[in-house]
Amino acid sequence: MGVTILTQFPTENRTGPHTIDVLSKRIMALGALQQGQFLVDCETYTSVPQLGPQRTVHVLHNSEQPATVFSLLETGTKTIPLATDGLFDLLMMKMSSFYTSKKQTKAESKGPRYEIGDFCVKLGTVTVSSNFKGILVEVEYRPCVVPAMCWDLLKEFLQGFLGLSGPTNPPAYLQNRMQEIYSPIDTIHQYLEHFTIFRKSPGIGMRA
Amino acid sequence: MSAPGTAMDSLSAALKCNIIPNQEYLLQGSVLDQYVEVLLHRLRGLCDNVDSGPESFHDHELCFTLRAGSGSGAPIVLPLRVRRALDVADAPFQLRYVGQQELGDKNRPTVVRSSIDMACSSTIVEFLTELGCRLDFEYIARGYMFRKGRMKITVSKIFKVAGNKPVETVEPISQSYLVELSVLAPSGQDAIGEDMRIFAEQLRPLVQLEKIDYKRLGSMM
Amino acid sequence: MVQIYARKKALAGAANVLLAGAEKLKTSQNEAVRNRTTLDFHIELLRLRQNWRLKKVSNTIIGDLSYRTAGSKYLQTGTFEVTKAEDDEKASSPPSSPLPSGPTPAKQNSALRVSIPSELQGVAYIEVLCQKDHEDLCSVNINLLGSGPPPPPTQTCIGSKKLEAAQNVLFCKELFNQLAKEAVQLQAPIPHMVVGNQIMATVLPGIQLIIGLCHSTTADKKQQHPSPSKSEHDHVLEHSLHQLLREVHHKNTHHPFPHPATGPLGPSKKRMFAGPMAADRYELLEMTKTDTLLEQIVKQAQHFIMRMRTEYVLDTIAKEVKDPLISSHWNTLNSPTQSCVKINISTHGYDAVCRTPLVIHVGEKSLKCICRDGKVMNMSYEPQELRDLIFCHINQHQILAVQALAKTMGWQALGNSNHLGDDSTGTVEPLGNASSCLMSSPTGDRIIAVRCEPHTGIQVSVAHSPRTDFFPSRLVTERKWEHLGGQFRDVRLDKMEGRNFLHKMELLMASLTSNS
Repeated sequence: MGVTILTQFPTENRTGPHTIDVLSKRIMALGALQQGQFLVDCETYTSVPQLGPQRTVHVLHNSEQPATVFSLLETGTKTIPLATDGLFDLLMMKMSSFYTSKKQTKAESKGPRYEIGDFCVKLGTVTVSSNFKGILVEVEYRPCVVPAMCWDLLKEFLQGFLGLSGPTNPPAYLQNRMQEIYSPIDTIHQYLEHFTIFRKSPGIGMRA
Repeated sequence: MSAPGTAMDSLSAALKCNIIPNQEYLLQGSVLDQYVEVLLHRLRGLCDNVDSGPESFHDHELCFTLRAGSGSGAPIVLPLRVRRALDVADAPFQLRYVGQQELGDKNRPTVVRSSIDMACSSTIVEFLTELGCRLDFEYIARGYMFRKGRMKITVSKIFKVAGNKPVETVEPISQSYLVELSVLAPSGQDAIGEDMRIFAEQLRPLVQLEKIDYKRLGSMM
Repeated sequence: MVQIYARKKALAGAANVLLAGAEKLKTSQNEAVRNRTTLDFHIELLRLRQNWRLKKVSNTIIGDLSYRTAGSKYLQTGTFEVTKAEDDEKASSPPSSPLPSGPTPAKQNSALRVSIPSELQGVAYIEVLCQKDHEDLCSVNINLLGSGPPPPPTQTCIGSKKLEAAQNVLFCKELFNQLAKEAVQLQAPIPHMVVGNQIMATVLPGIQLIIGLCHSTTADKKQQHPSPSKSEHDHVLEHSLHQLLREVHHKNTHHPFPHPATGPLGPSKKRMFAGPMAADRYELLEMTKTDTLLEQIVKQAQHFIMRMRTEYVLDTIAKEVKDPLISSHWNTLNSPTQSCVKINISTHGYDAVCRTPLVIHVGEKSLKCICRDGKVMNMSYEPQELRDLIFCHINQHQILAVQALAKTMGWQALGNSNHLGDDSTGTVEPLGNASSCLMSSPTGDRIIAVRCEPHTGIQVSVAHSPRTDFFPSRLVTERKWEHLGGQFRDVRLDKMEGRNFLHKMELLMASLTSNS
């Protein structure tokens, strides 16, 4: 487990599959090997009015940690993370009379997964309730767990194959946590940030 | 490697195959403090590999309910329990939903109730509180556990937890130990109930393990 | 007449009383004898019951000597039957007993008779051999036929001993069965072979591990697999095998308890953490992996061979090389697959001046050497690599030591190289490489050059500048040009006085240090 940076890659009038194709060619040219596929998904539940002030529970799964269900509870003032066994989903079903999901909000990012030396690269096609929304590129640098110590390296690596679209600053979520030890829940936070933006943005109109 | 399916897909597949242990078969009883040693000896004789002595435990349990007053009639209540080990420093927290006991057949040898059981991170207490759960009560259970095949037997002393008092100064709620015989299994494996009944027979008359109907207990008081 | 008749009658009456009494005594004594045997039977049964699992099935007493209650999942049953010794004489085999074959040991002193299934009778053990190549193997097989049988179980063994032997047979059978199953399933680069009662696995190139099940029954004397006299049976590996299976048994029954107590029974402690600690897929995959018994024993055998080879290499070098001294210290405690040796290269009498420590970790198929300067060298199972490394370090030691000595003598080290042998500094050594150094005397008028080579040994040369005698010539007109340094002349070390190289060098330097 290392430090992960998640960044959006603009499609610039290309279709989703085409963009993924372009990026995968670039990363393969650097010597990366494809190691399967990945999937991160997110379902959002909101509290029923009887429960008082509205709260939101985001339930996320990451194929990188297949035994874990991540939940983020947003109360409006703070966000509480929770990591549990897979059966949490079953519990969410039991909670259906307290927390309901809007069917239109199921977001996921999926695509090929590459390994290149100490880096792991994932090219994700983002869909919100099956509508294509954009491309998310995830890069993990495995040997390091403190973001501040490897940010420059990650930035250089990202710019190396994303060109000018590569990030120039750390993701907003990480900016206050650069000196802390990185953990898988931080990746989940980054995905949620992007999914929230994608949900608000109008669909590009092309189905992935 | 094929594309990974969503976690929900695999969960529903697991549900369909009925491999998730979500049913608890339970018998309960109690034994007075002065006879607990005798019971422990008997359990050591009956259970699997107690060569290294019985396993002790020391847990803290918090019982929450999530309730919402619906427009018509009784409010909907979802009980949730959080349990953590006090004697094993790094053990994960345990979150548990325990359903109402199934009405079913009167002749069933044990209580059968649905149970969802998961290990979770230590943020669970804050998570449940912010989720809207109310802490109903909490207690400390200390005792021994045994296993016999798939059966788990716990002999535990229940202690009151009052406010923020240190754990060392807790008071026992009674002069007896709670004895529980339980199996967690996928639904429909009713044969296990019979095994449990036979095992419970062997503990008589030291302890009478029975189906305890909490609703009836409530009305008796 | 009447008197005689009356006396006779009285005598007869008395005799009758005596006879009746005698008869009564006799019957009661008989009774007592019979009762004692049943009493003996019950006491012995009680004793047997304390150590073995027995139960009554209708009219017979059936016991179980299998390891099933200890966690074994082996399918073969280990049932035996307990009968009264007396009954045996009447009916030679009880009808319900499934397998009462084999000779009945004469047991006049025991009231119990224990009948064991024929396939569990006799003596069994697992034989483990490490062998060099196929030729050795064949000769051993031939030997198998010629050597004598192991001593048969003593005729007077009581029930318990017989049961213990049978239990051992069952255990060995389970062990062998498990290993054979694994040998067939495992995908080794050189496939494992299972032939009859033997499993052959390649441990290292040219070295085989042979595991055999030796089972000799007293009834069937032809079917013996006595231990071969030539290649030695490895008791340590045999013990490890037993231990490994017992560990499996233990794991089958000793599952970890959950903490907190409401957690599910079954998953390992690590697996319980996997969810909340967000273990990734590699960690989860690692959790499911366990080495099979065969893999573990092959690893242990590999390590055993590696350790032996390393020992051999170090001992031979220590014997070959007298100067410097090479001492190796093996850790007394080591795991079955890893051990560690510390090597010290030093010169007698000069330990304080220079010492070269090395640490070698002996693994399963590789060696790791941690050198004096912290460099880590990884080596394969080939012993020649270790030999080269040690020789390389011997040379380096000599060069470093002579420089350290020079420093204490007030000489100046001008330069050194540990890795000569490219085109600029002489020929390439066939094995290892040469080291050299250059030192100058305190006044700078003498220079010593030392070169260590693995094959030719140590060469020492001396140069004087200026030369002690100066004769002006047409080319060199002035004495000052002589300061540029002169020709090196070889020193014949073997003719020099001194206990060892460093001692000789000390004397040489002392003699070359000018008084001025």
